[in-house]
Amino acid sequence: MNFQPAAPRARPRYRPMRTFVPVSTLLLVLLPLLLLPLAAVFVFAFRGGLAAFWAALTAPDAQFALRFSLLIAMVTAVINAVLGTYTAYILSKYRFPGEQAVGIVVNLPVAIPTVVVGTSLLLLWGPIGLLGRWLDPFGLQPMFSPIGVLLAHLFVTFPYMLGTIKPLLDELETTYEEAAYTIGATRWQTFRYILLPALRGGLFTGALLTFAHSLGEFGATVLVSGNLRLRTQTAPLYIFSQFEAGNLATANAIAAVLAVVSFLIFFFLLRYTNGRKGS
Amino acid sequence: MSIILERLTKWFGRQLVVDRVSLEVSDGELFVLLGSSGSGKSTILRQIAGLSQPDDGRILLHGRDVTHLPPQQRGAGFVFQNYSIFRHMNVADNIEFGLKIRRFPPAARARKRDELLDLVGLAGLGERFAGQLSGGQQQRVALARALAYEPAVLLLDEPFGALDVKIRAQLRRTLKQIQRQLKVTTILVTHDQEEAFELGDRIGVLERGQLLEVGPPEILYARPRTSYVATFLGAGMVLVGRQENGRALFGDLDLPLPDGVLREDGGRVQILFRPEQVVVGEDQPPENAITIGRGEVVDQAFTGASRRLRLRLPPLQRVRQIAPIPPFGEGGLLVDALIPAGLPVTTRSLWVSLTGWHLLQPPAFQLLVYAAADGRFALPPLAGFLAERLQASLTVLGVKRDSAAIEAARRALEEGLAASGARAELRMRQGEPLDQIQAELAGTLYDLLLLPVDAEPAGGSGKNWPGSLVGSILENMNGRWTTPVLITRGQIGSIKRILICTAGGEPGKSDVRVGGRLAWRFGAAVTLLYVAAPADGELSPTARVHLERAARMLRGLDIPCEVAVRSAPSPREGIIHAAAAGDYDLIVLGSHGPQFRSIFGWDDITYQVVSSVTRPVLIVPFDPI
Repeated sequence: MNFQPAAPRARPRYRPMRTFVPVSTLLLVLLPLLLLPLAAVFVFAFRGGLAAFWAALTAPDAQFALRFSLLIAMVTAVINAVLGTYTAYILSKYRFPGEQAVGIVVNLPVAIPTVVVGTSLLLLWGPIGLLGRWLDPFGLQPMFSPIGVLLAHLFVTFPYMLGTIKPLLDELETTYEEAAYTIGATRWQTFRYILLPALRGGLFTGALLTFAHSLGEFGATVLVSGNLRLRTQTAPLYIFSQFEAGNLATANAIAAVLAVVSFLIFFFLLRYTNGRKGS
Repeated sequence: MSIILERLTKWFGRQLVVDRVSLEVSDGELFVLLGSSGSGKSTILRQIAGLSQPDDGRILLHGRDVTHLPPQQRGAGFVFQNYSIFRHMNVADNIEFGLKIRRFPPAARARKRDELLDLVGLAGLGERFAGQLSGGQQQRVALARALAYEPAVLLLDEPFGALDVKIRAQLRRTLKQIQRQLKVTTILVTHDQEEAFELGDRIGVLERGQLLEVGPPEILYARPRTSYVATFLGAGMVLVGRQENGRALFGDLDLPLPDGVLREDGGRVQILFRPEQVVVGEDQPPENAITIGRGEVVDQAFTGASRRLRLRLPPLQRVRQIAPIPPFGEGGLLVDALIPAGLPVTTRSLWVSLTGWHLLQPPAFQLLVYAAADGRFALPPLAGFLAERLQASLTVLGVKRDSAAIEAARRALEEGLAASGARAELRMRQGEPLDQIQAELAGTLYDLLLLPVDAEPAGGSGKNWPGSLVGSILENMNGRWTTPVLITRGQIGSIKRILICTAGGEPGKSDVRVGGRLAWRFGAAVTLLYVAAPADGELSPTARVHLERAARMLRGLDIPCEVAVRSAPSPREGIIHAAAAGDYDLIVLGSHGPQFRSIFGWDDITYQVVSSVTRPVLIVPFDPI
């Protein structure tokens, strides 16, 4: 997840004779591991021809799953952009007891298996969960609803925004803020006019990362959503359901779409970070 | 008065970084705070701007108490060493930022911005971004940005530190011109003496958080009060001599004492003369000239307009040189002189005389005596001796762990001091002795800590003695600890014979310097001891050179000095036997330096010696220089 440009370094010259063996070894290893699986998705998606592909894609369930996934990913990215930036600002600019503990906790979601996240959310917000049991009598059920899916995605993708913003804030010299303070800017004005513009690149990268991870989230979603079609079924869940039902072509069509979206996001990230490297 | 600081104080943990600094800067003045790195000058500036909170004291800007106001409400313009130009804004937006915040209408903003761009010499560059500007240009933008909202005071924190010499000179002129034109009260912080001279209406010299002297550059240069200021501002020679019958004596030089120098027969007095006050010539100067002697040229340096000569003269009787710092082993007197660069120096031997000089009053020797404050207190005889012979100002520190016992201890100490008839300041502190001693040493510049110990050593093995305090002090004498510690017990009340021990490994130079300085002040004789392992046979070349240099330096100070090389199975035994055989009144040892060999220090030579002898032991902190 580190898209920061590396320090420029002299690259060795291309020497065909010396290069052939190591490079072809690498390609041989990568072929079954990465390249062939990627190719397989597309091959299967179009096996039944373009019409079948289109039919699979325009099925109401598939349409809902795709749109729902994109919506959830978008909302997750926006909310976590705000929350992550705020957390990064607090952790970077304030010193307080328990600071390290907070720093560890907010980064924990990367380390916890997503299924565990789903389970713990169920145990908290589910109908018999710690908090959920008090909401249940009022007819409020966060689990098995779009809200539950959003909660899971917020949890799982929380560290990505933080991880891109906090290093930027830490590296930014405090004299920029101090200059703004002496000029007369309040804390908020300083954040709004001085820090935020300096973080623009990080915000973009972090939001894209969050979006991409949310789009592909499966483990936690499958538990908290209840996999209800036309209500809480995200695209990965739809793929899984279709696959289980034996509709390989349908599953592959959606999978191909997801793969393309991921490629695009990755392409943008790469372009963006390379562009910054150049300047 | 635009800026008034009243007893500004700041601690960073246990370190006192700003020590009761009081200062008044008048309207339109350009004041320069000058100090080496770590002297607290930037901290003071940041406190004025509100970027750092003082622990004590007050700050007034134009009569308004701003001590507890946030930086936004102080109206100070601040310029940082790293420019800190907002990178996503162009030059114009940077300058207008303060006006935007204050909701100035766009037309007024534009007018002000153009005016300032013109003033700092960047007209037409308003559309540029920081990345398209040189360092000097960026600093001009920073200056314009700080001036845009017409600040009450302008504060510059080493603004030219990151620029090269040529740009620096240009910017200095620009700054001075703008400051004169706008008449904005300015404080500039720098470590560059040349910059301070060129810019400052007045200069304040800071050292270790204390504002030593304040005055116009010419006065500070010609008539400093302290040797620190004398040597920090420009090159110069500082020698320590004696007073006698209202005259200052430096060897054969006999100078009248000016008013303002405290007259005290036998008291110390320092002379300062600058290289440009030194006259060299091949012929003997006339009778009425102030002649120091005849010296040989040891070094020449071409500096452009002039040539700097360094001459070595025979030492003056009972005179110690403190500037330029004599290299280790230097026995003579080093004098720098300036001559026109075109003038060839043909002879190596030249007469040296002075056209001018200035006398300084050396600061009182600060002696701190730790009092365990258990029961009755009697000032150790050695403390009385040191106070008298060093004309030291004496401070007694009493430490108690609980607040209830402090009052009783204070009374006991007061009684004990009254009984001894000594003049001393009494300080009481509550807490752990080691912590409180360190805090006291961090707060005031003491020259020596006297640590009286009552207990008898436990028969040489040293494992059960000395008390935990001595042990923990020895463990802490690395890194930040700079005050020598004199451990004394028993009744030795005068010092006539000093044993300076240099054993194995890297020989300590600071032990010789500190021990030699005391011997010089006491008129004591010194034995330089080197303990070699029996297996070594021959003395190592390093050790021999070190001993030769040390002896030459001591003899240059007219200290009777002999060198003793002893062979012993361990340094500790060698030192203990030598101490017993020679009936020394003081044993001088170096501390162990930055690495401590074991947690409990049983194998530490210093610790072993301290725990095995009954004589006073002076432990000199490891000096990395």
